[in-house]
Amino acid sequence: MFSVDVSNGLHEELEALALKNKARAIGVALHDLETGFRFSLRGDRWFHAASTIKVAVLLAVFRAADEGRLRLDDSLHVRNRFFSAADGSLFRVSQDRDATPELYAAIGRTTKISALAHAMICGSSNLAANLLLDFVGVEYARTVLREAQVDGVELRRGVEDHGAHERAINNEATADGLLSLLSAIRGDFLTPESKREVIRILLEQRFNSMIPAGLPPHATVAHKTGEISTACHDIGIVYLPEREPYIAAILTEFDSEREGRRETVAAISEAIYRSLLRTEPKSNED
Amino acid sequence: MRTEFLRPIDGLKLPEVYRALLRPGETGADLYGNAHQLPRFFYEITSWQQAREVRLAPHFTLAELMLVDCREARLLLGQFPHYVPCAIVLLARLLEDFRREVDAPVFISANGGYRSPAHQIGGATSIHAWGTAANIYRVGDTFLNDVRSIGKYGAIAASLSPAVFVRPFGLERGQTNDHLHIDLGFASLTPRECSDAS
Repeated sequence: MFSVDVSNGLHEELEALALKNKARAIGVALHDLETGFRFSLRGDRWFHAASTIKVAVLLAVFRAADEGRLRLDDSLHVRNRFFSAADGSLFRVSQDRDATPELYAAIGRTTKISALAHAMICGSSNLAANLLLDFVGVEYARTVLREAQVDGVELRRGVEDHGAHERAINNEATADGLLSLLSAIRGDFLTPESKREVIRILLEQRFNSMIPAGLPPHATVAHKTGEISTACHDIGIVYLPEREPYIAAILTEFDSEREGRRETVAAISEAIYRSLLRTEPKSNED
Repeated sequence: MRTEFLRPIDGLKLPEVYRALLRPGETGADLYGNAHQLPRFFYEITSWQQAREVRLAPHFTLAELMLVDCREARLLLGQFPHYVPCAIVLLARLLEDFRREVDAPVFISANGGYRSPAHQIGGATSIHAWGTAANIYRVGDTFLNDVRSIGKYGAIAASLSPAVFVRPFGLERGQTNDHLHIDLGFASLTPRECSDAS
């Protein structure tokens, strides 16, 4: 059977890639909407979610908008002051780690919720993520995940909450879980308007060195990366003009700060693409 | 100062939908259980342009003292008129004195000037509902987000008048950590042309 052949070959290729690149662990989940083919390699293994958790926050924000709890063009007070999920202690996020310096210039003033959602995903802004999560609330976001029937994504706190991290209170996810999160976004959990907007935001992702790097130039990807010292992930919906899209969640764990992590994710992305479209590896001559 | 466009109104004569949110003249309790009468007299603001044009003090426009985010009641957020307690002019005077002392621009945060009793932050228990409190997040190029800066500028504000109250730096209730809170107490102002009679 087609799916079995693809699955076996892909499984072996991904295991070989993990071994070659000295990944401590990989978790991969895949759903091809063209054929219905599903694949999961250690899809139930838990990883630190890193910034992929921001997709869960994005879902909660748009669900809140659909429910009339907020309006996307509402303005929110921008302040860099958050309280740890561990003990309520004060923490601030670091501007140095954020690709959205313009948001820090707005501290003290207001920014539209839609702009915060965009900054949280496209620039992976930790400040925007924490502001939005503070506003909708962790409990509400967890409820939204349950209502969307997303298992395998544990949202427990904001980002850069080092006090919580030291006490092992982390956001965690499995590849299967993040796949179901993207499936919820693509499904009918949100209103059509919200769904379109969420996918548009994901398509405008600025960090494209992982899943998109393993694809031909005509592919477009609605995706979100996530990186901390030991984790390097990318999850996305891959659009190809000749066929229905496929959804992929690629999670990896490495020894701290090991080189070649993003390249490994890109190589996994390329392997997935080749297996689904049964094409030859890209030539490095072109 | 350009304040000639300000029109004082008696909150008790406002339509019910506004009275329900502004609660003019009602007695409420602060965080410590002390009873205070909410402001009864307000200036009616008809547009953001007007708010930006009205200078309550040489360096402070009305707009700076009424900027709120979406935690404010929808009716008081998305459409005009807006209403701000008349005591806001006293706050502007205090801020002008403060600015003169620090000799630098003074920035008031969103939700840091007047907030209505219907605002989700503090509501009627917050002194911001009297229009006599300001949250200063920046003085010149200095962001007030640590014990040193809040302590330094808090001491300057407190030196201006015995009526000035300053919240200390900290994480506990009644303390601040990303702005300097100053206020004049639960003061209300009755404009000369208005009557306190019911």
